Order: sequence, then structure tokens, then C-alpha cells
Amino acid sequence: MKIKPKRIKVSHKSKNRPPLHQLHRRDRNGNLTSKARHNMASDVTAEAAGQDEQDRSISRDGTDPLSLEARFDEQGRPQVPELYTSSPPIRDHLTTDTSISQDDVVKQCLPRLIKCSRSLVGVNSYGIPSLKREDHIKFLQEAIEYPRYIAFDPVRPWVIYWSLTALSLLGENVELYQQRVVETLSPCQNFGGGFGGGNGQLSHVATSYAVVLSLAMAGGGKNMDMLNRRALWRWLGELKQTDGGFRVCVGGEEDVRGAYCSMVIISLLALPLELPPNAPARAHGFTSFLDGLPEYLSRCQTYEGGVSAVPQSEAHGAYAFCVLACLCILGPPNEMISKYLDLPLLLSWLSSRQSAPEGGFNGRTNKLVDGCYSHWVGGCWPLIQAALSESPENPNAAKSTVGSLYSKEGLTRFVLSCCQADGGGMRDKPNTFPDAYHTCYTLAGLSSTQHDSGYSGMRHGEAGYPLDSAFAWESSKEDSDGPKNEALELIDAGDTLTSLHPIYVIPWGVVERCRELFSKKTGF
Amino acid sequence: MGGYSDSEDWKDIVPIPQDDGSPNPLAAIAYTEEYSEAMSYLRAVMGIDEKSDRVLGLTEHIIQMNPAHYTVWLYRADILIELKKDLLQELEWLNTISLKNSKNFQIWHHRQVVMSHIPNIPSNERPFLARVFAKDAKNYHVWSYRQWLVRHFSLWDSELPYVESLLQSDVRNNSAWNHRWFIIFARHTDPEKHSIRNNNADSEVSPETIEKEIEYTKAAISTAPQNQSPWNYLRGILRKQRKGLVPMKAFAEQFADLEKEDEVRSSHALDFLADVYAEEQNKEQSAKALELLARRYDPIRKNYWDYRRSLLGLGQVGA
Repeated sequence: MKIKPKRIKVSHKSKNRPPLHQLHRRDRNGNLTSKARHNMASDVTAEAAGQDEQDRSISRDGTDPLSLEARFDEQGRPQVPELYTSSPPIRDHLTTDTSISQDDVVKQCLPRLIKCSRSLVGVNSYGIPSLKREDHIKFLQEAIEYPRYIAFDPVRPWVIYWSLTALSLLGENVELYQQRVVETLSPCQNFGGGFGGGNGQLSHVATSYAVVLSLAMAGGGKNMDMLNRRALWRWLGELKQTDGGFRVCVGGEEDVRGAYCSMVIISLLALPLELPPNAPARAHGFTSFLDGLPEYLSRCQTYEGGVSAVPQSEAHGAYAFCVLACLCILGPPNEMISKYLDLPLLLSWLSSRQSAPEGGFNGRTNKLVDGCYSHWVGGCWPLIQAALSESPENPNAAKSTVGSLYSKEGLTRFVLSCCQADGGGMRDKPNTFPDAYHTCYTLAGLSSTQHDSGYSGMRHGEAGYPLDSAFAWESSKEDSDGPKNEALELIDAGDTLTSLHPIYVIPWGVVERCRELFSKKTGF
Repeated sequence: MGGYSDSEDWKDIVPIPQDDGSPNPLAAIAYTEEYSEAMSYLRAVMGIDEKSDRVLGLTEHIIQMNPAHYTVWLYRADILIELKKDLLQELEWLNTISLKNSKNFQIWHHRQVVMSHIPNIPSNERPFLARVFAKDAKNYHVWSYRQWLVRHFSLWDSELPYVESLLQSDVRNNSAWNHRWFIIFARHTDPEKHSIRNNNADSEVSPETIEKEIEYTKAAISTAPQNQSPWNYLRGILRKQRKGLVPMKAFAEQFADLEKEDEVRSSHALDFLADVYAEEQNKEQSAKALELLARRYDPIRKNYWDYRRSLLGLGQVGA
């Protein structure tokens, strides 16, 4: 990790004339040309025809739009690649609600992406603003104390999880909260097993997920003693459905969140995989939590290639993460993902989620970018890349890994330029308010650009607990011989975040600590 | 509200105040007194599993203050069913809340639970959903609910005109395309068996239907070729048809002619053609389409296009 020395990079193709982006955007004094000013204001609403001509001429220059070389104008100011500063190369004439809202978002994002190239203040040599670390920490320290609105009453464990995870990403020691996390979450536990959103609320698998992960992050160890594992196991048994999936709570809806959250809890706490005697799914012939589960997840892949909340609904980024992560709990990624999903189709859909010029991810076809998909979609990538890589468990196969299949630069620019709120905290997109949820998942996505993680495979003879492969992942070492991480090249050394486990979405050490605590446990 | 503690109707109930675990809890909510008191009474009546008219009123009161409260919704549904309440009246009440809080999961699950106890679909149901979609035609939970509704009441035959009207007003509405897929194709698949991966458990969709869908989709693409939704839909149909992509080659080439690199009108056509050429074993052409995408027409996805190119087994780009 280093800051590149400022220098003017002249590509051989443009030796005899100024680079085209300067030609289009700036006059000799470095001011925006009237054409460029016009573009900033009306690019996105302009009719396609005339606009197209100009946008296309840029790539005709032959310069690689994704080149990682920092570029500067005569004053030494950084230039952001055209890819992030102008309308997409092809735009249809037809105007509909979708195109209007898309244009509106581009209009909000462009000035922020471009602005970076107009001033040296607060931006690095790639035109990327620095991470407002201290502001975000302060924002989260307040968010975990006072989420303010009554609407958060049913999701208080989530507020704690989001804040602790985001604070961990920013390098803060969250064990300071140990005692208060335990005290606050204890009254959410129900005698019948599981945790509700607050005292006296029904147990819900999403809040239980947030509770388990929060307890683990805030010290683990004796925190975990407060978990009634036997009751949790029995309650999860009630959620298991005869089609293989899980409801989110007794009497609640069934969707892939139920499956992912349940399997995170079960595997992290090493609960028995055998269904408890009270489980209604036993009447269907099921005996294990795993029965019918991968097949259920498989049925949530849609004709578009993405994954939906329930079979036959619309493909959606957040549900895609739930399904991929759940499959990766059930077995090695290269076996599970390609066995249960059409991988090329999934890859095509996932790749389509990244949008230019914004650089961030949207959650569905023809929807808008949102910072939270930096994790929901961004978090799918390490899992998919692991599925595409050679099996590390086959010692005869040459180990080959697939490199990054999305633009880390795009995501980095979007998160740091568009999602940082002025007073701290991260947001969906410009013109929205920051909150703990977006801060957590936007930073988690940014972190995954900086730290590559992959499936390391299980060492021979290690197999014990059937879900061991969920713990056989590793974060690649910074000093390894592999190709340089482009995201780390783009940011200042002080802007790196810590790394999270790609399945459990908590720090690696926390996962290991849980694993040590529970894997040797026999019975409850 | 005079409050529950002052009410004669509630004097037999001892409220249970919230246990916050410590005097200094995390994620402390700034409760109003009204909300805190109502919740204290809810904990008390849920503790004794009371299902009565007064509790129904209590749940309504809390929902009005906090419609995201899943516990209250689930308890309310239980009471309605157990007391055999007028469920049509419940829907009426729900309509007003739903329009104000349409993004919330709980409301739509509650509606589904209520509706599953009503023998025939109320005549106002689809007009009401149309009002919700008029505010946000891509609301995920509402679409999921509508799919349940269609399957539950077997409304397959009357859905198409509505979907077409939505696509007419916004041909980029991917939720509407997904719903179209649902009523045309998913109708014939068993949601408990079918998966894309195995392409199994499909009963036959008639060749006429497939032809009709292809024509509809081609027309939609022609109105806005850079719209990915119908391209995805077209690929879906062609997988069903199992005749490959090559029959659509001439159609796609209208929007992306590799001989006229400057006149590409759709990156999705290029993507489609890359697969067409690969299917024809014309790897050079396929690579050319992918290179155009990587370099010029969809460079944010450069790594993906390069990966696709690498699968062709040709040499390095520009080598």
C-alpha cells in the first residue's frame, strides 16, 4: 500500500496531442470548458443522439478507460477516468419512469465523482476522496447509543450488529461494549428459544442472527454463555419447512433470509444438524436441518440468473448473497454453487449489477445503485470467484484462482465519493440520510475490495463437523506473490479497512474464536 | 388517548414494563409515553395469551405508532382468525395503512395470512394493488404477494393485460417482466421442484406461446434496445425452446453490427451476439464482440468481459 508519486502519465497514443479527456473537459487554464459545464448539468437528460457522438469519441482514442495510472492535468490536478464522469456510451431515446430516476441518480453522482478531479483538497492522486474515518466512528458511536426512531424498536439487535461490525471495519475495539451488549440483548431472549427485536417480542431469525454475531464480536467467550443453545436449536426446528427452506419466525414468512440466518446460527454455534423431535418437518420425513435445503435454494434462481427471496420471485442482490453464503456453509463453494446454480447465468446477472458512471451496484435489473449493495452484491464476488477457482482439495489440480471479476475501482469511487455523508456515516446515495445499516454494508463492501478472500480447502483428515468447510476460508496475505490488489493501489494507506469473513460478515478472529469455543462441545 | 392505566376496560391487567437489561442499554429508543404504555400492556396480554376485542384494538393502536412491529402483526393475525373477525373489514383498514407504509415486510405478510382465510378474491383487491403499484411499480414485497395471490386464487388468465399495461407505461420495469415470466412460464412449473440449474420438472409450454412471447419481446427490444430486461427475458425463452441463440442472430445484429463498430445501439445485443458466435464456433467474432464491450460499450464490466473472452481459449487480447 503506497501513495503513487504524482506524475503526468502520457500514453504513447496521445504523445502528439493532449489527452482527449482534457480536450473535452478543460481549457488551457484548467477551467471546465463550456461544453464540459453543459455536460455536467445536462448530460444525463440530453437526448441520446448528439450526446452519444461525444461520449463515444473518448474511447475511440484507444486509451484504456480502466487504466489504473493516475492522470493529471497541467496544474497537476488528478483526472478521473471518463468512465466515471460521463453518461454511458449508449442511451435509448425513450423516456420512462425507470430512465427518469436513473438519470436523476446519475445527475446526483456525477458532480461528486467529477468534483474530485477539480480540486486537490481531500482527494488523492486518483481523484478519490479519503475516508472520513473519525467522522464515521463518531457517527456509529452515536448510532449504537440512540437509533432515535420508534421504527427501530423491533430491530434493536440489528442496530447493535451494524454498528459493531462497522466500528470493527474502521479498526475500533468493540469489546469496550462487551458488558452493555450482553445486558441489552439478554432481555430479548425468549424461553422458547431465539431472540426477538426487544423485550417481549417474538423470536425472529434475523434478530437472532444479529444477536449471535454481536455477542461474538463484543468479546465472545463468556458472552456466549447467555445463549440457551438447546432452546435455540428446538426453536429453529419449528422454522424448518417441508420444502427445505426456513420461515423467519413462527407464523412468519418463508424466504432465503430464513435459510441463511438459520444456517449461520447453526454452524457458528455448532448446533446439532439433526432436527429436534418437535420439528414439524419431521412429519415430512426430514431428519436434518440440511434436508432439502440446497434444492430449495436452487429453486430460487430465476430466468435472469440471479436469485430471489422465494422461488419464482424477482432476482435481487440481497437475496443472492443469502443464497450463495448459505450454500457456502453447506459445502465447498466449487461443489455447492456449481451443483445447485447455473453458474454462467448467475455470473452474467451479478456482473450486470455494476453501473457506470456511478460505479456502485444496484440490486435488480433496471434499478438504482445503493451503497448497501456494496456488500450484498459485492459480497457475492468472493464466493463466486471461489466457485470458479480450481478445487484446493484436489492436490493434483493446479491451483488457479480467478481474479476480480468486477471493477473494484468503480466500487471504491462510488463508496468514497458518493456514499460518505458530510457529518459522518454512510448512505444509500447522494441526497439520502446516513444510517447504521448503510454504514455497515457500504464499508463491508469497500473492505471486500481491499482484502481478497478465498476458499482454502480442508486439510486432509480434518473433517469432523459436517459444516467444516464453512470455516475453511482465508484472507489472502498482503505480501503474497499474487497480482496486486487494484483497490489498494487506489486509496491512501490510511484508508484501509479491516477484513471480514465472507460468509459470517464479522471479523475473521471472531469466527475463529467461536469455532474454537463450540466445535469441541459435545451436546449442549 | 386517556391511556390504558386510567381505563376501566384494562384495570384487570398489570402492565409489564420493558426490561432493558441495564440502566444504560445500547440502541435505546426514544419511546413516547404512549408507545411505552401500549407495549407494556401488549407484553402483559401476550403473556396470558389473551385474544379479545380489546387486544385487537391495542394491536391497532401500536401498529399505527409503529407499523414495522412484526410481533404485533403476527399476534393480530392470530386474534382475527381465532375470533372469526370480518376479514374484509380488516383488508379495508389495511389498505389505508399499506398505502402509507408500502415498503414494510410485515404488512404484506399479514395481508397474505388474512387473504388465505378468504374463500374468493375480493373484487377490490387488484384495483387496490394497482394503486400501490402506481406509487412504486417495482415494490418487491407487493410483487411477491401478488404472485402468491395469483397462484392461490388461480388468476393466471386475467393477469396478462395488467402486466402489458405496466410494460406499456414503462418497458424497463423488470418486476413486470418477471411477473410476465411468472404467468406465462412459471405457471407450468412446480415451484417445489423446478430449478433453472436442472431445467427439470417443466411441463410443456406450447410452441405457439413461445413464438408469441418471442415476438412480443422483440418488439419491446426494438423500442429501446439498450433495455436489459427484455434481453434477459428473450434468453430465458430461448433456453426453454432449446434451439440455441443462433435463430435470433439476424435480429440481434440489427442493434450491433461488428462491421460497424461505431454504430452499436445495444451492449446487450453485443453480449447476445458473443454467445451466438461462440455457439457457431466463430471464436474470433465472439472475442471481437467481447472486446468491444470491454473496451468501449460496457467498460465497467471489463474484467467480466475479459474472463468471458478467456473462456474462448484464444490468445491474449491484442496479442
